Amino acid sequence: MDKTAPLPLNLILQELHRYPPTVREEYTRALEEIASTASPKHLEWWANHGLAIAQQTARSWEAAAEFFRTSPVVLPILSWEHFPLWAQGGYDLCQQSPALAVAYFRVGPACVPHLRPSRIPQWVGLGQRFYKGTWKSTALAVRFFEASPALLASLAFPDLERFVAFLERLTTRSYDLATECLALGEEVFPKMGEHREAFVALLSALSESASWREVKACFESAARALPRLEKGQRTRFLRLAEYLARSGYTSLSTFLVEASEALAQVDTSAHATLLSMAEALLAVSPEALPDFLKSAPAVLERITLAQMEMWFAEGVRLLRSHREAGLGYFRRETSRSAQVLEALSSAVELARVKDLMRLYCRALAGSQVEIASSQELVQKGIGWVDKEKPTTEGSTVYLPPVVNRYPSKEQNFAWYKVVATHQVAHLEFGSFAFSYQRPSALFKDLRPRLAPAQPPGEGAWLTDMHRFFALFPEKRLALDIFTVLEDGRLDARVQREYAGIRSAYQRVQQDSLAERPALEDLPAREALVELLVRLTLQRYRLPTPTPYLKEARALARLARLLARPEATVEDTAEATLRAYAIISRIPNQQLPQEQWQEQDLSQDQEEQEQQGDDLLQQVLQSVSPQQRREQQAQEQPYQSPKDVDYRGEFKPELVQLLAKLKQTGEQRQGQTSPAPITRELLEQLLRESADLEAEQGDISQAVGMFANNIMREAGIAQPPPVPAFGQGPLVHIDDEGGPLEATEPNTYLYDEWDFRAGDYKPRWCLVREKPMAEGDTAFWEQTLQTYASLVHQVRKQFELAVPEAFRKIKRLKDGEEFDLDAVLEAMVDKRAGLTPSEKIYWRRNKVERDVAVAFVLDMSASTAEAIEEGKQDAWDAPDDPVEYMLWLRSRRGEPSRRTYKRIIDLEKESLVILIQALQTLGDQYGIYGFSGYGRENVEFYAIKDITEPFSDALKRRIDKISPLHATRMGPAIRHATAKLEAVQAKTKVLFLLSDGRPQDRGYSREGVEKEYAVHDTHKALLEAKQKSIVPFCLTVDKNGHDYLKTMCADIGYEVLADIYSLPQRLPLLYRRLTV
Amino acid sequence: MPGTKRQTLYRELRIEEYVVRDEPFYLPQGDEVQLFETAYYQKIPVLLKGPTGCGKTRFVEYMAYRLSRPLVVVKPAEKDGPPVGEEPAEEDTPSRRSIPLVTVACHEDLTASDLVGRYLIEGEGTRWIDGPLTRAVRSGAICYLDEIVEARKDTTVLIHPLTDHRRILPIEKRGILLEAHDGFLLVISYNPGYQSALKDLKHSTRQRFIAIEFTYPPKELEAKIIEHEAGVSPEVAWRLAKLGEKVRNLKEHGLQEGVSTRLLIYAGKLIARGIPPRRACQVAVVWALTDDAPVQRSIEEVVASIFE
Repeated sequence: MDKTAPLPLNLILQELHRYPPTVREEYTRALEEIASTASPKHLEWWANHGLAIAQQTARSWEAAAEFFRTSPVVLPILSWEHFPLWAQGGYDLCQQSPALAVAYFRVGPACVPHLRPSRIPQWVGLGQRFYKGTWKSTALAVRFFEASPALLASLAFPDLERFVAFLERLTTRSYDLATECLALGEEVFPKMGEHREAFVALLSALSESASWREVKACFESAARALPRLEKGQRTRFLRLAEYLARSGYTSLSTFLVEASEALAQVDTSAHATLLSMAEALLAVSPEALPDFLKSAPAVLERITLAQMEMWFAEGVRLLRSHREAGLGYFRRETSRSAQVLEALSSAVELARVKDLMRLYCRALAGSQVEIASSQELVQKGIGWVDKEKPTTEGSTVYLPPVVNRYPSKEQNFAWYKVVATHQVAHLEFGSFAFSYQRPSALFKDLRPRLAPAQPPGEGAWLTDMHRFFALFPEKRLALDIFTVLEDGRLDARVQREYAGIRSAYQRVQQDSLAERPALEDLPAREALVELLVRLTLQRYRLPTPTPYLKEARALARLARLLARPEATVEDTAEATLRAYAIISRIPNQQLPQEQWQEQDLSQDQEEQEQQGDDLLQQVLQSVSPQQRREQQAQEQPYQSPKDVDYRGEFKPELVQLLAKLKQTGEQRQGQTSPAPITRELLEQLLRESADLEAEQGDISQAVGMFANNIMREAGIAQPPPVPAFGQGPLVHIDDEGGPLEATEPNTYLYDEWDFRAGDYKPRWCLVREKPMAEGDTAFWEQTLQTYASLVHQVRKQFELAVPEAFRKIKRLKDGEEFDLDAVLEAMVDKRAGLTPSEKIYWRRNKVERDVAVAFVLDMSASTAEAIEEGKQDAWDAPDDPVEYMLWLRSRRGEPSRRTYKRIIDLEKESLVILIQALQTLGDQYGIYGFSGYGRENVEFYAIKDITEPFSDALKRRIDKISPLHATRMGPAIRHATAKLEAVQAKTKVLFLLSDGRPQDRGYSREGVEKEYAVHDTHKALLEAKQKSIVPFCLTVDKNGHDYLKTMCADIGYEVLADIYSLPQRLPLLYRRLTV
Repeated sequence: MPGTKRQTLYRELRIEEYVVRDEPFYLPQGDEVQLFETAYYQKIPVLLKGPTGCGKTRFVEYMAYRLSRPLVVVKPAEKDGPPVGEEPAEEDTPSRRSIPLVTVACHEDLTASDLVGRYLIEGEGTRWIDGPLTRAVRSGAICYLDEIVEARKDTTVLIHPLTDHRRILPIEKRGILLEAHDGFLLVISYNPGYQSALKDLKHSTRQRFIAIEFTYPPKELEAKIIEHEAGVSPEVAWRLAKLGEKVRNLKEHGLQEGVSTRLLIYAGKLIARGIPPRRACQVAVVWALTDDAPVQRSIEEVVASIFE
């Protein structure tokens, strides 16, 4: 600025003529506005300053125009005292770039109110820090000023400085990123409240770390994360993240999202404690922090916060002593973690008691009862809707997945047991065996005397329940009464027959009372149904509505009758008829409080059952179709009573239907088809069904779906074809993630050994056992021909092995016969006056050969290798799943008519020869192949099960052995071990035949450490050994020595140098192993 | 001590002289008594099939009593013990018309000579001693070979000529043929459940017998048996029978064999003398049945449901 000669105001305008007219216009307009409030001296300074700006460079007139334009707004805020600070800032900026000055002046009115005047130069300085003379830096600086109003409004100035410092650091990496972050900051900071400071600190930390690219994502994640946290803990959470960033953690944005999601799942009051633990963890191992927070909700589901401290302490202890084990612990991937949790938890999980419960229920029911989680039944979509309630559909008892109602494990387990016992009682005491015709034990039967309702359509009644419930005009009421009475009958029966469970049962009943609604609050009809519920819970002192005392007594009488041991489901039906006749007549009206009176209903005070005809009339009336009463004005619509929690859902009609359908489904397969049940018929039935009516409001659309699902469940509709051999579903489940669940039939779960953590990953691998497809016997016969002489030779050797079993043992005190030599000796001794030996007998000692062997055959893709070429093996198979599949397909696409021999062919031939020999020996043997892809798809093919006899099917199956996918040996060995464990034999051998090292997707640590697979396999073999099974590995991989040393430490193995010797070698090895 | 009257603390009986004096407690499940009686009079050998501890042996004892004959029980393992009596006289007819019953528990080392007899060295020469089977054939006893499939194959062939119309026992070593006494009947037992295929009964053998199948008695009957044998209250007996029924439901689903009536009686006997029922069932039923911990727990839960 030219300080020497300030121009008078009148000359300024002239000077401004040198610039585009906008400048003059703005000047004139502003002058008019401020002239009245400013002294001439101030005005002159102002005008001159503007001119000076315009004079600076070619384009600085724009800045001047902006200066003039905004001055009238800024002036009143700053006053003349501080105004020059602002003006000077723009002037300085303009020297660097007019564009900067323009942006600066433009946001002046919005920014100045947020700034102390003394801060203005510092603010300018912040903008200048971005400016490095390049166009990118200019653009960023301009953006900074543009964003300043928002930033200043939301950030304290020191924070802004830190933010700028952060952005500046980013500029050394990427201007684009800095620009984006600036924009994000502008948007995010205002929403962030008082946590900006911590967030800026986090950003700074990030920008200094190696993972500076994360910053952008962090803005977004932080914005999402913070609202999920308890208010007071947000800053703490950000600090945590900051430390994490400083410690070199790389995926911070993911952490922000996942950790906050996890925290959102737990009660906010727990946040502080959890974060304290997290802070403690930070000092030990920052790596474990994200997993710890992610695990928190699942852990807290099972134990209390106080207990969690113990769980946490154990993890920290582990981390200190063994890093990998500690990390796995917090990921909840190790058995130790689960054990500690289990020990601390009072909750009982179905998965843990399932086997126990299954046997228990089978013992009680005397049939093949299965146990499953209630969720599974809901997923079938056949009419059950509640995921938490126990129930049964006739063959499976469904229980809630976890029970955490009581403070101790024992009590929770007792609850499970009571619930299971009640469900099984439905089967044991015949709830579903209801027959319309069968007479009851305690009542004068009314059923035969009631006019039979017409079955729908031309067909017969599908089920007896269907027929029974069709009697009632108000099915829902009838069903409610029936289920309550039947449940009550079972409760009484169970307590009579199972004295041991009685106390637990009564406690559960007592507790369920707490959840019942107050009788007095219910309208009359519902109150009577509820009264019935209480009566069946063996409560007899109850508030009773005085107008209906007689009715209540009649109901109590029914309930008491059904509690007698000889009561059957038919008695329940008779009682239902009577109770329905009583209750359906009562209008559903609210009763005034004074009409309620506590009554003892345990004693019969008056009459026996009404005499036959009266009663029949009553019941007849109640069930006649015209009887559907008009609702009265004050009457409320009838609501079913709340389910008694431990009794769960009971759907008699649906279960009978399902059983019937299954039965007809089976009959149809047996070619004797009675009246087939069509879908239409089924839908019709479902629409009428009392069970569904009770549950679903709008049933009409659901009916079709239910019908379909039920048909499928009953096995009538064609089930989807079972995945054939080699086409197992290759569903990709992430390697991350936790234990698996074996829900389908013939699937088995096994742990996997993580040698770094020194612990098992629980339920890690899912083995799917599949039958082997059958091919042709030609392969078998041809092999026998080709190797005729070898077969003969081997057989002879094996036959020779048999007689070794009988040996004559001499010189025994007792035996089959005299040993002539010994007798002579004894006689001689005697004559000579010596004491003769008593050992003068011999006997044949029968050494029985008692051997069971499982051959486990590697069917991995690498066995497709041609032997001749000696090509590299499949070791270079790509690790990426997609590439791997392509690679595999290309290999399988090889011409099917092979002229060369593959490894697997030789393996198969050797098997044929061995089987021939084994038949001579009479050993029990099983032959299994395995392959698979990923831990959730370990395919295990039974070529011959140990218990299966030799048959032509075996010959055909051998033909079908062919290379498939990868080699996850551990679970396959574990499954074969389980098979061997199930048979009885003195000697058990597990014979593993492979062509290379174990490998599979995710069968390594972080995809690189292939030792992992070798160690897991080793562990699996050791497990077999502990179960007194002799494991042996035979491999044809010439390079096998290196890893076999580890894999088969303490275990017999052999590397076959010449693969062609396999057919000779295999029987030989076998003989040695089993003698 | 001088002057003290010597007292024999044990009784020594010849194999063929052991008589069941008191009527064994036996509740028929069906027509098995009638069938056995008829078979006896018609000289048809009998095969008793059924799981362990369901009352096969008791049934034979009962029948021996019913047919009013002395009963002889010998175990081959006692061979090393003191010799039992003298060689029986050829014409040994007890005062009562009696059918001795020789029970031989077969095991895998039981040979033909264990059944038929053998030479023993005595003084300067040898002396022949009859085996239990020979004695039974001579005296017209019921010979009961328990768990016949456990014995060696040569023993099963030995019984062939005894079990058809010939009814003779060749004793090769002495060079004689022994014609069976009119009262002789061969009864064998066999548990089809847990023998492996190796130890199945050959058809040439099994088709010489009529087979009576035994199962565990129905709950009501079993309760009565337990009540009588164990001396417990009807209530406890009924609960034990119920436990039996429930545990047997687990056969093939974790248990190889259901719980035998015998074990239930043991449990009852323990309870009768004051052992708490749950504990009694644990030792007499749960632990006796299986070593598999999960199955044990399941059965214990069943026990806990039934007994307080």
